[in-house]
Amino acid sequence: MREAHPGLPDFDYVRPASLEEASRFLAENPQSARPFMGGTDTFVRLRDGFWKETRYLVDVKNLDGRAEITFDPRNGLTVGAAVNMNQVVADPQVRAHYPLLAQAAHRVASYQLRTRATLIGNLCNASPAGDTLGACLLFGGILRVHGVEGFRDQPLAGFFQGPGRTALQPGDIATSIRFPLPVPGSVGHYEKLGRNVLSDLAIVGVTALGHPDSSTASGHRFHLALASVGPVPVILRDLLTQAPLTPEALDEAAGRAMEACHPIDDVRGSARYRKFMVRNLSRRALNRVWEGLQSGHCCE
Amino acid sequence: MDTVETTTPRPHQESAAPRPVGESVTRLDAHEKVTGEALFADDLQFGPNMLYARIKRSPHPHARILKIDASRALALPGVKTVVTGQSTPGFIGLYLKDRHIFCTDRARFVGDPVAGVAATTEEIAEKALDLIDVEYEVLPPVLDPEEGVRPDAELLHPELGSYEVANFIFPQPGTNIPNLFKIRKGDVDKALSEAAAVVHHSFRVPHVQHVPIEPHVAIAKVDERGRVTLWGSSQSPFAQRNLIASALGISQADLEVVAPYVGGGFGCKAGVSMEALAVAIAMQVRGRPVKLRLTREEEFYTTFVRQGLVAHFTMACDAEGNLTAMDNKFFWDGGAYAEYGVNMTRGAGYSSSGPYDVPNVRTDSYCVYTNHPVGGPMRGFGQPEMQCGLEQCINRLALEIGMDPMEFRRRNCVKEGSNLVTGMKMHATGIGECLEKAAEAIGWGHKDPPSAPHKRRGKGIAAMWKAPAMSPNAGSSAWIEMSEDGKCTLGLGGQEIGQGTFTVMAQMAAAALGIPYDWVRIASPVDTKYSPYEWQTVASRLTWSMGNAVVAATKDARRQILELVARSWEETPEDLDIVNGNVISAKSGRSSSLKGLVVYGLARPGDQGWIGGPILGRGSFMPTYVTGLDPETGQGERAVVHYTTGAQAIEIEVDLETGRVEVLRGASAFDMGKAINPDLVRVQMEGGLVQGISTALFESLQLQDGVVRNPSFVDYRIATSADAPRDMQSIIVEVPQDDGPFGARGVGEHSMVPTMPAIANAIHDALGIHPGAPPFTAEKVYLAMVDAGLVK
Repeated sequence: MREAHPGLPDFDYVRPASLEEASRFLAENPQSARPFMGGTDTFVRLRDGFWKETRYLVDVKNLDGRAEITFDPRNGLTVGAAVNMNQVVADPQVRAHYPLLAQAAHRVASYQLRTRATLIGNLCNASPAGDTLGACLLFGGILRVHGVEGFRDQPLAGFFQGPGRTALQPGDIATSIRFPLPVPGSVGHYEKLGRNVLSDLAIVGVTALGHPDSSTASGHRFHLALASVGPVPVILRDLLTQAPLTPEALDEAAGRAMEACHPIDDVRGSARYRKFMVRNLSRRALNRVWEGLQSGHCCE
Repeated sequence: MDTVETTTPRPHQESAAPRPVGESVTRLDAHEKVTGEALFADDLQFGPNMLYARIKRSPHPHARILKIDASRALALPGVKTVVTGQSTPGFIGLYLKDRHIFCTDRARFVGDPVAGVAATTEEIAEKALDLIDVEYEVLPPVLDPEEGVRPDAELLHPELGSYEVANFIFPQPGTNIPNLFKIRKGDVDKALSEAAAVVHHSFRVPHVQHVPIEPHVAIAKVDERGRVTLWGSSQSPFAQRNLIASALGISQADLEVVAPYVGGGFGCKAGVSMEALAVAIAMQVRGRPVKLRLTREEEFYTTFVRQGLVAHFTMACDAEGNLTAMDNKFFWDGGAYAEYGVNMTRGAGYSSSGPYDVPNVRTDSYCVYTNHPVGGPMRGFGQPEMQCGLEQCINRLALEIGMDPMEFRRRNCVKEGSNLVTGMKMHATGIGECLEKAAEAIGWGHKDPPSAPHKRRGKGIAAMWKAPAMSPNAGSSAWIEMSEDGKCTLGLGGQEIGQGTFTVMAQMAAAALGIPYDWVRIASPVDTKYSPYEWQTVASRLTWSMGNAVVAATKDARRQILELVARSWEETPEDLDIVNGNVISAKSGRSSSLKGLVVYGLARPGDQGWIGGPILGRGSFMPTYVTGLDPETGQGERAVVHYTTGAQAIEIEVDLETGRVEVLRGASAFDMGKAINPDLVRVQMEGGLVQGISTALFESLQLQDGVVRNPSFVDYRIATSADAPRDMQSIIVEVPQDDGPFGARGVGEHSMVPTMPAIANAIHDALGIHPGAPPFTAEKVYLAMVDAGLVK
């Protein structure tokens, strides 16, 4: 049995003066140095003894001095790395243009934790249960990453490689995430199933996004992202394009989501139950999005 | 809120009792707890001399310990001592001494303490654990109580026959059974053969944990002469004094236990668990305080857990719906040591009819050693687990013969004079009224439409009873000392664990003496050196037992005061009274403040000396009327002091798409004889309901090969306020108890006893599916619906 340490193991707290210094330090100590943001996952994992080799915790919060959310009507939304979840939830621009993101951020843990937890941290932690991964993926998020070679853009597509594993290399620090403007008329919905009402991890999480599309037979296009049913988020794109939208068509799309995932049995739930829930929650989420599209309101 | 019942203080009606008994006065500890001023064990400061302890634990569920080499740990700078079982050869245990403080030759569960380290910091102590080398020979584990009773099962305690044991516990030497309690009443086989309906069902209730907000903490210091002081978060300072002193071979008078406020206990801080470890380590580093704190993870598997239970019920009734027979077999998963758990086996046995009048009962209640965490007391002491299955069977039997489950219960429930399962005669009880009021509160008999098309609603009810399960002669004592201005300090040994006992004791003392409530202070923290003896803060027994002692002490002080004043006034004490802090005479109309006279006495007229002296009241209480039970039949004159009864009615809604059960309404009605403080009683009812909901819907220690797979709040989910029903009603029923102060009996544990079966019965009402054993998680309910063809 894993023995939790009564306190934290020994480590040095490193607060670099610049992004360059931070990237260099992290690259020079690839095994022993870890970057951290809010620390809500980092400190728990350290205490639990997951990272035996960690010697340095490198505080990379707000090294570029831009702990802010900005919205540009042409380029979309940018969320800085030091922005916490509660700020995402409350931000008027997020709520106006990306309400799905606010909804997903609101389902992360508890209010107290959301004052520390960050959107970027949630992405870089790469938990298969991460609540915001689906929304960020479906909105086509692009991370701004600072590495030893300087800045680069890192699209979220292909970013997640396994539980806790991402495309980031030693020295890489995600400084912000940008979301292009959503397709006009987009409606999203996040369905999360926890074991109890508040603050659980997702046993199954379904993110749905739909928008009008005059090029399809249905006049719409839908996308799904599934959490906690595979090592990385399961994405189903371009659903419900072929035929007019009916309840049966939505049921069928939900069935496809069920077929597309391969969950495991674990302490939180069985594979059998998770598959049923992927179908039922996908159906629920797709219907909510459809209702939103019909009413012409972005729904939450 | 749909209800104001529990949130708005209301004047309590009907009050023959003197003020402030029956009033919802403000808690004595409210101010210091709200401001953060109140001290808990971890807040106490011991200076730079203090050492920190950590415990090396067995990673194996069952193993022989071949060798322990601590030399590398001892060489680590900062390590002051390493203690193993060699230093603690004595046995410890409340009802059955089957446990060493540290393992000697054998480890019996994952987490069993093998060695203890004291070091200058907690970090060094933790590091030292990795430097202790332990060689084990792994033994086959027993992981199921029904397997454990088989003749060929691996024996956990081959020495069982030689253990010291209380005379009402019956170990079976040469087996894994530390207690077997039997009931043989009437002719069960005949009754079953003649019955109109018979049901037979089995239930497997999982282990759960108490999860108090404050983990266990203990600080021990041993002086140069070997005298011990132990500070800790404890429900049982006096039991700890006794058990630890006996195990270490020292006098109880040389062990002082200081017990500040407890941040939640629910039973896990009763008896002795980790506290003895701190003392044993401190023995080796005399003069230095040694502090041991458990991590939250350790809390889940190294201290007491609520035992698992495998229960088989057969019950029968006649065509009119009269219960005729019950045939029960219980296999309690007692864990590695059953020193406390053996008595739950007994309690389940002598209450095994449930709160019903059943002429023919056969029960075998086995406590079984397994290589699981140690089973100990938890709120309800076995009754929630046992009555979980029993009350589902009652429901099924009622439905089987086509009778309303509530009507069936009312018809069969115990009444004054009923011949109970042990042969004891039932005292006056309000269970029928509890059933009716709980049912009425949720609109029993009406089915409301669900809130959405994909939901189904259901209602369920369950009754309960529970007696204080304790040593028959568990005693209480109290003193009351007056100060110069007439205010007083009440000495007692029961613990304030959040339930409000200090407040209730102050109310009773104020009422019995005739002074205002805010004149009473409690001599706290409880300290075995200065506080009067109290057996333990368990069994919902304080209001009743300690209350009797407090009333006796207060009456003793009152008698001294009245005799003094009567002498001075040349009247008789019978003509005098104390009202609102003044002695008054009904005969002469004279009146005098208590001020001065309660300490300095009164001057004789004409400067002729003084009479009286400092007033010090003392009182004690011990039930002397509980008799033994026959080991073969479980029959005897008076098995217990009394039973508290009650009922809960629950309305739920099930989401057909997820299986999630939402509790919409929960009504609790309990008969506590007399509500000394109605608000505190309601809070107990609410808390018990929510904890009951938590165990019904979420909680389970997931044990695999003896390892707890979910030892943290990440994966051991408990109900939060968001899971509690918006509509909670707490109904007070008062049928006075003849041996209780002001007619009161306990109600702390009872409100979580009927919750699991009430919810199970509501699920059946909603879906037609019997969910069986808890927890009724969304997954369990959904897959049951799939298997029943209710959903696809």
